Amino acid sequence: MKKSKANSPAKNGSNGKSSVAGERASRSDESSRFYGTPLPGVKIEDLSGKLIVIEGTDGSGRSTQITLLTEWLESEGFAVQTMGLRRSALVGEDIDALLAENAVTRLTLALMYSTDFFDQLERRILPALRSGLIVLADRYIFTLIARAAVRGISRDYLHGIYETALKPDLTFWLNVRPEVAFDREFKKSHTISYWESGRDMSLSNDLFQSFIRYQSMIKHEFEYLSRRHSFIELDGEENVSEVNKHLRKQIAEELGIRGTQYHPSQALAHLWR
Amino acid sequence: MATRAAEIASPSEISREDSSLARRPYPGALVVVEGIDGSGKSTQLYLLKRWLEIGGYRLHFTEWNSSPLVKSATRRGKQRRLLTSTTFSLLHAADFADRCERQIMPLLHGGYLVLADRYIYTAFARDAARGCSPHWLRNLYSFAPTPDITFYFRAPLDVAVNRIIAGRPKLKYYEAGMDLGLSLDRTESFRIFQERILTNYDQMVETDHFVLMDGTVQVNKLQKLMRQIVGERVDLSKFAPKKK
Repeated sequence: MKKSKANSPAKNGSNGKSSVAGERASRSDESSRFYGTPLPGVKIEDLSGKLIVIEGTDGSGRSTQITLLTEWLESEGFAVQTMGLRRSALVGEDIDALLAENAVTRLTLALMYSTDFFDQLERRILPALRSGLIVLADRYIFTLIARAAVRGISRDYLHGIYETALKPDLTFWLNVRPEVAFDREFKKSHTISYWESGRDMSLSNDLFQSFIRYQSMIKHEFEYLSRRHSFIELDGEENVSEVNKHLRKQIAEELGIRGTQYHPSQALAHLWR
Repeated sequence: MATRAAEIASPSEISREDSSLARRPYPGALVVVEGIDGSGKSTQLYLLKRWLEIGGYRLHFTEWNSSPLVKSATRRGKQRRLLTSTTFSLLHAADFADRCERQIMPLLHGGYLVLADRYIYTAFARDAARGCSPHWLRNLYSFAPTPDITFYFRAPLDVAVNRIIAGRPKLKYYEAGMDLGLSLDRTESFRIFQERILTNYDQMVETDHFVLMDGTVQVNKLQKLMRQIVGERVDLSKFAPKKK
């Protein structure tokens, strides 16, 4: 993760807005695990677990990989905790309601997602990391930043909100072309979700066109985020077993696991394509 | 506490604010009241509103924490005591963003005089007292338009605290700052919490151009002064009823 620090403009302190975060970061030892000002009340030395993030659009195979990785890690003797969007006890259901209502403005929605994120981070993820668990995050701040940024909210503003978030130990990006994501999503649910196709942005009346344009914009944001935060980019269009092999290799290295041999149990065999 | 409070006032904000004072991107105007609980601000804003309403001015009144959109989340968080300083702050920011995007900004663009009971400075003072970084808070609310006038009602801590305690059967958990573990006694906790907030407000008087109002002055005298200042600093003729 050293690479991401060097890449961060905040570290150079050159441009106005991010420089404050940089100054603060260099002031304390906690800087290596936060982007800027650390969350109030967090002692970094207490966090003995690892935070592993899997990012990627719907249809990139994230959830499948997380299910398989969980089994593999548990078979290796590691306890696993997962997190994902809209899963907080505090506002998870409220966001569902807001999305259904479709009356919410982009900024309010972005801030509700950040509330959802920090509620999970503070009340589930940090306690899990304190207990030495491996946290597998099904998306993280990057999806939230990308979604808000394509809707015109400033990147500096968004990075400012999430500067108190914990830096992952590993961040994987399962990159797939929008067309492939469309095929996979359609096969799975026989429809395309309102928000995943960016219909609030009036990109096109044609749902397919809207989906492709929106996902291309998101992908563009991810390319920027990938450089800024040193993602490990994987080809999400490969077979499930191939992608899983790449993931296991990197994670094994991070956790000091010697062998990376794994075959899914009977219960998960259907995922192994 | 002093250093943190000092950071609340951000010098970089001021230059930007000064330049934007000259030319705002909307025809409306924004008048804000701030101050700790029991400082008399709501009474004074109510009287200002009545004065303008009776005169037939184009105005809208808005208060903190009133958006129905995030109300259920706030209520749940408070009842179950799920809120941390960060999620408390973010939830209120989401609420404010909703009001800002759907009420305040459209009204300012539509040429209304907007009166706000509490504004972003409430979040700066209160959330910093809870331990949020002032720098983080300034960024969080950077989307909010700068008020034309910010009245800061200041009353001595004892006066304000006694006014609140006398009027309430029981202080609420978060209201009293019980989440901070300042004291097991709710009244004492409230007192310490309000003192921190007061200190934080005081630090913003200069940097955020607050108009200081003495909350111990007789209500009608203070209101007279408030109306005079509004008349001087806001072009009220823009909001006056059209003569037939």
